[in-house]
Amino acid sequence: MSSSREAITFRANVQKALRDPMLREAIKRATDTFVTKRTEGIASLPMEEWREKASTIRMKVLDNLPQYVEQFCASAERAGAKVYQAVDAESARRTVAGILEDRGVKKVVKAKSMVTEEIHLNPCLQERGIDVLETDLGEYIVQLAAEAPSHILAPAIHKTREQIGKLFAEKLGVDYSDDPTVLTRVARNVLRTEFLTADAGITGAPFAVADTGSLVIFTNEGNGRMVTTVPRLHVAVLTIEKLLPSVTDLPSFVRLLPRSATGQMLSSYVSVITGPRKPGDFTGADELHIVLLDNGRWEILKGEYREILKCIRCSACLNVCPVYRAIGGHAYDSTYPGPMGIVLTALLEGMERAHPVLDATTLCGACVDACPVKVPLVRLLCRLREASVEEGFAPLLEKRGMSAYGAVVSSPVMFAFGQTLARIFWPFAQKLSGYGPMSRIPRPVARAFRRRML
Amino acid sequence: MNNDRVVSLFMENATKCGAETFRAAGLDEAQRLLDDLLRNAKSIFCPGVGEKERALVIPPEKREEDYREASVCVEEVFGAVAETGSIVCSSEGGRVVQAGLLPPHHVAIVPQERIYETVEDLFALWGQDIPTNVTLETGPSRTADIELTLTIGVHGPERLTIIVAP
Repeated sequence: MSSSREAITFRANVQKALRDPMLREAIKRATDTFVTKRTEGIASLPMEEWREKASTIRMKVLDNLPQYVEQFCASAERAGAKVYQAVDAESARRTVAGILEDRGVKKVVKAKSMVTEEIHLNPCLQERGIDVLETDLGEYIVQLAAEAPSHILAPAIHKTREQIGKLFAEKLGVDYSDDPTVLTRVARNVLRTEFLTADAGITGAPFAVADTGSLVIFTNEGNGRMVTTVPRLHVAVLTIEKLLPSVTDLPSFVRLLPRSATGQMLSSYVSVITGPRKPGDFTGADELHIVLLDNGRWEILKGEYREILKCIRCSACLNVCPVYRAIGGHAYDSTYPGPMGIVLTALLEGMERAHPVLDATTLCGACVDACPVKVPLVRLLCRLREASVEEGFAPLLEKRGMSAYGAVVSSPVMFAFGQTLARIFWPFAQKLSGYGPMSRIPRPVARAFRRRML
Repeated sequence: MNNDRVVSLFMENATKCGAETFRAAGLDEAQRLLDDLLRNAKSIFCPGVGEKERALVIPPEKREEDYREASVCVEEVFGAVAETGSIVCSSEGGRVVQAGLLPPHHVAIVPQERIYETVEDLFALWGQDIPTNVTLETGPSRTADIELTLTIGVHGPERLTIIVAP
């Protein structure tokens, strides 16, 4: 992801993605699998009731966020953690780097975290001479290949087993294999040594609990547990909207998140971590530092797009989105792809950079139906499109075209005239463009429907 | 739901998630199951702290004091949740929660009376006084990050065996 303010070259990215048959096949297979698993996973469950409840809890958090932030800080400190509040990416990076440097940390193991992608934490730490290792298998593959994740949950779905086999052979000096079991074993062995020798672990947290000061971490591989219990220092970076009011709210989300994400009844491991190791404990890091990050959330909270902050990053909306399913995650050129990603990118990175990705939606509403916390994604996307026009980001041709279209369709005479013109000039228009979208528009009929009605 | 039905729901869900489940009528039977399971084990870590851990016999020549080096971890866990088929590991009482994570085989002895029906029932036990680490473990460690091919045993155990005992 580039941090410049230049507009995302979305159209060009899409062309590139659409011309890559291997990528398209991989994305199709992944999203199909997730959608099928989710459908099976939620069958015969009172999903509507659960979604309503989860949505209500998330709204309660947003409506009282300052209070919950204060309560979380107090509870976490009471449990023995040190909490830092960071305004933006720069201050979060500085805080994390400071904690690590003060303790002479040379090697860090990380569990998958989108927030640390958002703030570009890894390059910053590497520049300061700290080794940073991603430990989620998908993230590890993407990191070895020096690429960006293409899906927020399955970061390496764009790579084939042969590509991964070659990558491992080249970077890790092991024999080539394209067997996922063998490759997984290689990663297990390499990373096991890293877990045992790392000075610190860094995680995000999909949820944090205000009344207990707990962090909640979900993983299937077990790397989240390794990172938070094996090294002596644990640094968690999370944004303020990840809070839940109480530990009693947790069960709703424990039920919804894995089912919405992968269709699983539950992820293999869910850890609720409350403070560092205390006297008499033999589990947990000796020190727990929590960096609570704003990075634009307070601003979003004040505005008309606040409901996007209900999002729990399950990725269900990516998997059902017809646009994401065709192009995959990289074309969005942002930390967050898919429907929720478009909204977040526009709000976090500004319209100037994000306006081209507002095209990446059909407004079909599949995302709204899939969302476990009822984020009104279509409404937010429509409103952002309006805002992009109001702010002058629509291309001149589109603006002129739209005003001309508006003038024509608001007058019955002009509309009829337009239909006649379209019919006459159709053969020429087809020849002019040759291929592309024009060839897919059906030929105008000889006698328009409204004339038949007259 | 009576305890018997909660136990069978737990065992059914845990099996669905890839765990091997056994129910022992008493500690004698648990010992027999354990002897079978440990016959080919190379090295065994067992904290030997819990009531059931102390009652069960682990072959002394196979005992390993460092869980990072062991091939099997045998432990009495805090409890279980029937709804999700999860065993519950807690750091309470000086338990080493990560001991069940590092060895490739985790054998969890679940006290039958501490199988809770729902996730709510479990968290209600502690309220706000929650231990440092509470981990729900559901099936073995898994990934589908390479071409969505399910692979068992990434960073955590590739085998999870659960013995429910009274």
